[in-house]
Amino acid sequence: MNELLSIEDLYLNFRTFWGMAYVLNGIDLKIYKDEVFGLVGETGCGKSVTSMSILRLLPSNAEVSGRIIFEGKNLLELSEKEMKKIRGERISMVFQDPMSSLNPLFKIKTQMVDVIKLHHKISKEEAIERAIELLKAVNLPDPNRILESYPHQLSGGMRQRVMIALALSFNPSLLIADEPTTALDVTIQKQILDLILELKKQYHFSVLLITHDLGVVAETCDRVGVMYAGNMVEIADVEELFENPLHPYTQGLLSAIPDPRYKKPLKPLRGNVPSLLEPPPGCRFHPRCDHMMPICKKEKPKLIEYSKNHYVACHLYGGDVNG
Amino acid sequence: MDEIIRVENLKKYFTFKESVFSREVKHLKAVDGVSFSINRGETLALVGETGSGKTTTGRTILRLYEPTSGKIFFDGREITKMPIKEFKKIRIQMQMIYQDPYSSLNPRMNILNIIAEPLKELKEDNIEEKVLELLQSVGLRKEHMYKYPDEISGGQQQRVAIARALGVNPKFLVLDEPTSALDVSVQAQILNLLENLQKEKKFTYLFISHDLSVVRYISHRVAIMYLGKIMEIGTVEQIFENPQHPYTRLLLQSVPVPDPKDKNKRKKLILPGEIPSPLNPPSGCPFHTRCPYVKDICKEKEPEYVEVEKGHLVKCHFAGEI
Repeated sequence: MNELLSIEDLYLNFRTFWGMAYVLNGIDLKIYKDEVFGLVGETGCGKSVTSMSILRLLPSNAEVSGRIIFEGKNLLELSEKEMKKIRGERISMVFQDPMSSLNPLFKIKTQMVDVIKLHHKISKEEAIERAIELLKAVNLPDPNRILESYPHQLSGGMRQRVMIALALSFNPSLLIADEPTTALDVTIQKQILDLILELKKQYHFSVLLITHDLGVVAETCDRVGVMYAGNMVEIADVEELFENPLHPYTQGLLSAIPDPRYKKPLKPLRGNVPSLLEPPPGCRFHPRCDHMMPICKKEKPKLIEYSKNHYVACHLYGGDVNG
Repeated sequence: MDEIIRVENLKKYFTFKESVFSREVKHLKAVDGVSFSINRGETLALVGETGSGKTTTGRTILRLYEPTSGKIFFDGREITKMPIKEFKKIRIQMQMIYQDPYSSLNPRMNILNIIAEPLKELKEDNIEEKVLELLQSVGLRKEHMYKYPDEISGGQQQRVAIARALGVNPKFLVLDEPTSALDVSVQAQILNLLENLQKEKKFTYLFISHDLSVVRYISHRVAIMYLGKIMEIGTVEQIFENPQHPYTRLLLQSVPVPDPKDKNKRKKLILPGEIPSPLNPPSGCPFHTRCPYVKDICKEKEPEYVEVEKGHLVKCHFAGEI
């Protein structure tokens, strides 16, 4: 398998009014060509800031260290000018709320043509033609009418299709989709996820899918990374992860979600996600863990390959012995 | 079984004018002829996509919106036309829990005062003791009493909202997407809490949700809504294991299943298109524009309910045939 993106030991802190927030605590993650990698976790676990770090779209109070290697280059060392070429041309992004990523004052046509002309030196007419082509690719009926519409005249599902069309305008090799269907109804969610998978086959890009919905992960991803409070706690192939979850947090998540096929008892996780201003020492999950040992309070477990292609960061699996 | 809530042919139309100058008054038929009943200790889930009228139905039952027509019975008494002064004494037994717990709590009151407010209305003594009891019944502790809503987590805020509703000894609760703003691990805590409270106190729930996995877990009976109408209603097993309406079937197939092996087993159909605008609903069967089995009659005539099994009603011309 060919490596497309590799994140190594990524730390991210935010200087805030209340003190330093330790948001990412040494993340490791690899994304291969032509795969859909799912990043799951609860609010505040650091999934979205991971993607923002990749695109270097962090606010000025952020402190980053580590390496993000994309197509052979360390993105954290590129100049802003080089980074601008990567954004949009090599890495595209689709956000959760399509209404707030489109400008409400301009027609779709203006917005699409602007973006297309920003990276390609072509005339306006050619840009419009390209826009129509892209809208057809995302199965939007009547592209001419869409181009003449303002964002509020389109439904949520249609706006998200427009965003995907924009993201595709330069054949990116990585598409980051941050909760792309969370604001949509289930029937529309299904349409959008199927569209992303379909386009991935056609255009050969990899997808980094950020979601909190384990059902969406099970249906769309090839590999999954589970995050908790700024740590990557487990990475595995999707079937392996659901069948044989190793980390107590992953196990807890899986037994807390209801299944639409039958009524199963729900076992909620104790407590709440910790504050990142004062994260628990050692393993950040230890205050909620049923298998807590003395070492968990002292030492952060390393992410080790416990079985083939199945990584876990937990002292239960002898992290410091084999790691 | 005794009936707590009965709704007969309930309609709620919102009227508006296209512009300030136009004479023509238009109607948005948010709820268009809904009938159901809920027994004591039972949970009925109202399921549907955005704009299907599920929230409006819940609010109209509590007369937060005045119904356009139809009848609502609570505990055997008709409340539809009751004078508001009289109705207020009854409404205290009906409570509502909202989706976003933060915006339903006053940010300038501490938890003690938030929960105590309805108790003061009832002129209870020993309010602090009662508040503590309520906090404990929803799994919170004494130390939460003097905190403000922004100092506690979303799950805890929802617990406070539930505790406040419990204080007035309600019989019936409308739960409007009570867990959709919460993380999955916290969602499970709240669902279990709601279930335990129901067992203990025989509460009756109207559970409004778009999340079919949650509905499968919490409800006894399910009503599927589409454009202001109930398309199918039945027990949770009837709806999930033997869905009859094409809309119900397609909706169920869109639900992501948290099991990767499942995706290879089933061939999934996609529900095409989007829900039409309730301003301009289709003629005949409201679902005909998206239905894969559509025939001419569906475009002309609105289907009646057909009882395919005991208590399982389907609003489709071809119920039992598809």
